[in-house]
Amino acid sequence: MTSTAATPDPGAKTNTKKLLWILAGIWIGGMIILILIFGFGHQNHEFQIQNEFKLINWVHLGVFSINRAVVYLFISTILTVGTMLWIAGRMHQRPNKVQTAVEILYSLMRDNITRGNMEDRMAARWFPFMGALFLFIWFNNIIGYLPLPTNSEQTVNIFGAHIPSFALYAATANISVPLVLAIVVFVIFNWVGISTHGPIGYLKSLIPAGVHGAILLLIFPLEIISTFMRLLSLTIRLFANILAGHMIILFMTGGLAVLLGLSFLGWFTIPFAVLLYIFELGLIATLQAFIFATLAAIYISGAATHH
Amino acid sequence: MLLGLTHLLSFGDVSAGLGIGIGGGLGAVGAGVGIGYIFGKVIEAVTRQPEMRDDITSIQWLGFALTEACFFYGLVAGLLSWVLK
Repeated sequence: MTSTAATPDPGAKTNTKKLLWILAGIWIGGMIILILIFGFGHQNHEFQIQNEFKLINWVHLGVFSINRAVVYLFISTILTVGTMLWIAGRMHQRPNKVQTAVEILYSLMRDNITRGNMEDRMAARWFPFMGALFLFIWFNNIIGYLPLPTNSEQTVNIFGAHIPSFALYAATANISVPLVLAIVVFVIFNWVGISTHGPIGYLKSLIPAGVHGAILLLIFPLEIISTFMRLLSLTIRLFANILAGHMIILFMTGGLAVLLGLSFLGWFTIPFAVLLYIFELGLIATLQAFIFATLAAIYISGAATHH
Repeated sequence: MLLGLTHLLSFGDVSAGLGIGIGGGLGAVGAGVGIGYIFGKVIEAVTRQPEMRDDITSIQWLGFALTEACFFYGLVAGLLSWVLK
């Protein structure tokens, strides 16, 4: 019996090489054509990057006005509650692909986030909160990379109706959403700490073991400040990751070219924009949700341990 | 030439663009060193004990995100200097 060759098909390798050379040719050729047609422009002062993240109220209800961030929050809430309930009502013995994905998510939430950082009795109590936190942030991050028609500043005129143009925006790119989630986690872990140790005992538990005497005057304020730093760092980590990701995608897909007036620069940055988009969508969105939930679990379990 | 470069970046006067540049640049230095160190250690650890790969991978992602956050602290500080001028 002749063994079929274990070496990969050499035709496939040269096909990939040819494809890459063609793509590189299109990239460089397009740049040269754009330089020849449009030349070098001048700096554009009308394009402001902050306008991409501006929130315009569509329904005016005072503080509760509905703008695109609120719509995104509604969508992610419906997704969080809806997908989990829908899958739970349709479980099979032999899971299909969607159920397998949801089971992977569930095991990530239960084993890595909750049970990996809390002991078992606490984990059973706090698992619904951790799961909801992770899923809410995850859905918010993911749908931020889906272009939806939300840019009501620049509308497209179709048969007289002003349709908002497509835009990329994530609710977590606004500082209020991560701030509120971080405040919730902050209140919870302080409350757990106070209810386990009592108020004086909780403050005493902040001091590391074996510290006596005058150096307490230095250590204690630092510990208080570092507890508040947890709130700040949770907020800024999530907010800045998502905001910087969106901003850099906006710059790479033409923002830089518009700002500097160089049309060939827009063509040049397109491959980087695609790579960054895949990187952000595939890694950063999930990772930031996982980190937020993991740190929340670590803080809550840390506040409840008895030294 | 340096004035020409900062004129290209200015959203007002020189100090705003300079603030973002310094904040982002210095932040990236620290984050780059930290992330490289983490992944280097992960490679070493997986080489020594390949069966621990999954456990080490979850700690690796935790460390990566915490270190990358320091870059974003620097970037936000730079953006604050641009907003506050």
